[in-house]
Amino acid sequence: MNVNQYGKVDQEVVQKLEEILGSQFVATDHEKMEPYSHDEIADEKYAHMPDVVVKPETAQQIADIVKLANEKKIPVTPRGAGSGLSGGAVPIYGGILLSVERMNHIIEIDTENMMVVVEPGVVTNEINEKLKDYGLFFAGYPMSLETCYVGGNVAENAGGGKAVKYGVTERYIMGLEFVTPTGEIINVGGKLIKDVTGYNLRMLMVGSEGTLGIITKVIIKLLPVPKAQVDLLALFPDVQTAISVVPKIMTEGGVIPTAIEFMDKLSVHTSCEYLNESLPYQQAGAMLLITVDGSDEQIVERDYDTIGNLCMDNGAQEVYVADNYTTSERLWSVRRNIAEAFKVVSPHQSLEDIVVPIGQIPALMPEIARISEKYGMQIPCYGHAGDGNLHATPIKNPNDSMDEWNRKLPLALEELYRATLKLGGTLSGEHGIGHKRKKYMPIVKTEAELEFMRRIKRAVDPNNIMNPGKIFDV
Amino acid sequence: MKLIVPIKQVPETGNVKMDEEKGTMVRDGVESIVNPLDLYSIECALKLKEEHGGTVTVISMGPPKAEKAIREALSMGCDEGILLTDKAFAGSDTWATSYVISEAIKTLGDFDLIVAGVRATDGDTGQVGPEIAAMLDLPIATFVSRINSIENGIMNVTRLVEGGYEQVKFSMPALITVVNEISFPRLPTLRGKQTARTKDIPVVKKDDLAIDSDSLGLEGSPTRVVKIMRPKVIRNGVILDVNKIGIKKAVEELVNFLEEKNFV
Repeated sequence: MNVNQYGKVDQEVVQKLEEILGSQFVATDHEKMEPYSHDEIADEKYAHMPDVVVKPETAQQIADIVKLANEKKIPVTPRGAGSGLSGGAVPIYGGILLSVERMNHIIEIDTENMMVVVEPGVVTNEINEKLKDYGLFFAGYPMSLETCYVGGNVAENAGGGKAVKYGVTERYIMGLEFVTPTGEIINVGGKLIKDVTGYNLRMLMVGSEGTLGIITKVIIKLLPVPKAQVDLLALFPDVQTAISVVPKIMTEGGVIPTAIEFMDKLSVHTSCEYLNESLPYQQAGAMLLITVDGSDEQIVERDYDTIGNLCMDNGAQEVYVADNYTTSERLWSVRRNIAEAFKVVSPHQSLEDIVVPIGQIPALMPEIARISEKYGMQIPCYGHAGDGNLHATPIKNPNDSMDEWNRKLPLALEELYRATLKLGGTLSGEHGIGHKRKKYMPIVKTEAELEFMRRIKRAVDPNNIMNPGKIFDV
Repeated sequence: MKLIVPIKQVPETGNVKMDEEKGTMVRDGVESIVNPLDLYSIECALKLKEEHGGTVTVISMGPPKAEKAIREALSMGCDEGILLTDKAFAGSDTWATSYVISEAIKTLGDFDLIVAGVRATDGDTGQVGPEIAAMLDLPIATFVSRINSIENGIMNVTRLVEGGYEQVKFSMPALITVVNEISFPRLPTLRGKQTARTKDIPVVKKDDLAIDSDSLGLEGSPTRVVKIMRPKVIRNGVILDVNKIGIKKAVEELVNFLEEKNFV
């Protein structure tokens, strides 16, 4: 849709929004709106200012706002914590930015059914902090758990490091309340393990990136908290050797680890240098960071022995063991600080989110090396080896001008996506499409599939006001 | 070279919660770990062993579960571990603890060096190392940041002191406490863990040592805890409002402030 077709946020609209919410929850001054103009993507070209920021507290208020937006043809962009990496929560056509930050209550902890009912603005980690005393936890959380909101997790169908064992967010979403793009409040699913009553709208909403409605309540399935956890850091001479161990852990070892994180040589060296880490990483060509958890220490000890021995028997140079918080933090900081470490090299980088079948990871590596060389930019590769989701991250060559970077990056990305597709993969595993990767959708999706999605969008959002310009153009 | 490393098991304080009312730490569900500052003394001892040959013995006084800390040290490469555990030891202050540990060390025969951490992260007293040295009548160098040489039974080390460094020489056997500059601790390896699991850790009780029962535990400790309170954090923040006093005056006052506090 042409941006000119949208209505303007004028004084009358602001006044009506204030009537719905109270004036303190409607902001129009530049300074207050600026934080809502971008997400975690550093590149300013993906940012856009809203015309007004609103902070509702109830589903009814949201329904009223959405009805007003339809009447005035004003785009509404729902937003959680803004910790996304695809520009999904950025109001690229301006209009109303709807933040769910005030809807931050844990409504019910239902221990009998092992479920929790929360509002969308609850910080994901807070759920698990609250549940600690009950011996339960929400397992479908992403790496950004300390800042992200659960509503955003659902809208994005967030993944994370623990997907090998625990899957992604969708596995835990039992029910949703949401406001449709035309302003009705709908409840789908519930505390039911089985439910085949009609279309599975719950799963349609999960991962819809805020284009099909605004989530106002989430029912989440919980699991018992594992009592013990151990991390292993395995150093390998090269990627091939490291990756070949991954399937063996499950097939030969019979163990499903919680996480298998992968770091290539460039990532390992840059991060270790940045951290001044004294691990003997110099000879390492790749690392695996493997987490196992279980219901008691003996089980976990047996499992990490199995995995560690498999690594040693299959070419690992060394395997380190962390069975307490301090050492575990030390191991994980190598993985967590990769992005930060590369910011020292160059602040301009494109954090990608490609995903391939696990077995294809070694085949992908030479492709990445080829693209890296062709375009003269470093592309470190790290991520979730256990599920094939890799954050290959092109880094701007410090010697290149910005113009040069802006010219080269889309070309490099297109080649990266095509290489991924050829290996049976796709362009995003957990960050979503948003507007950052929208133009690359035709590379991985057929026109028939895209059109099917567009038809759904057109049917439920006739005025195209609900987070327009995301995933695909209508 | 025979090296001895006294270590302590402490509560994991990386993600600790405080009981706001009592002002004490919530210990329920808190993991116990090797005192993080003892990891440096373990590392220092292991490096010395690699360079000069010999053995590293870790010794810890604590409840039976302190065995876990000893196994962690063994998995890093220490050769033997000794656990001093007895109900009679419970509640000992630093003096009584040092007494028990030094008596236990006496039973180990000749040694060359005791390497201790500067302090434990829970009690934060930094007394046990120096007290052991005093009780065993050993030369001591605290806050050692570098070992320069060991020749003919003479040790040459650099100490971290207020405002700089100091180099000292002394004869061995001796005791040193080390700071984190000494060397970054290694991580336990898989093989280290597996070996450590099978090692026998002798348990030493009160009756195994020639010690005076009246000098043990809470009763035998000269320290009395009268009151525990949390210090009040006072921040005297000064706001220089540019809109009110103008940029020139604000900068002037900021510079004055920094000069007064010797920051510039």
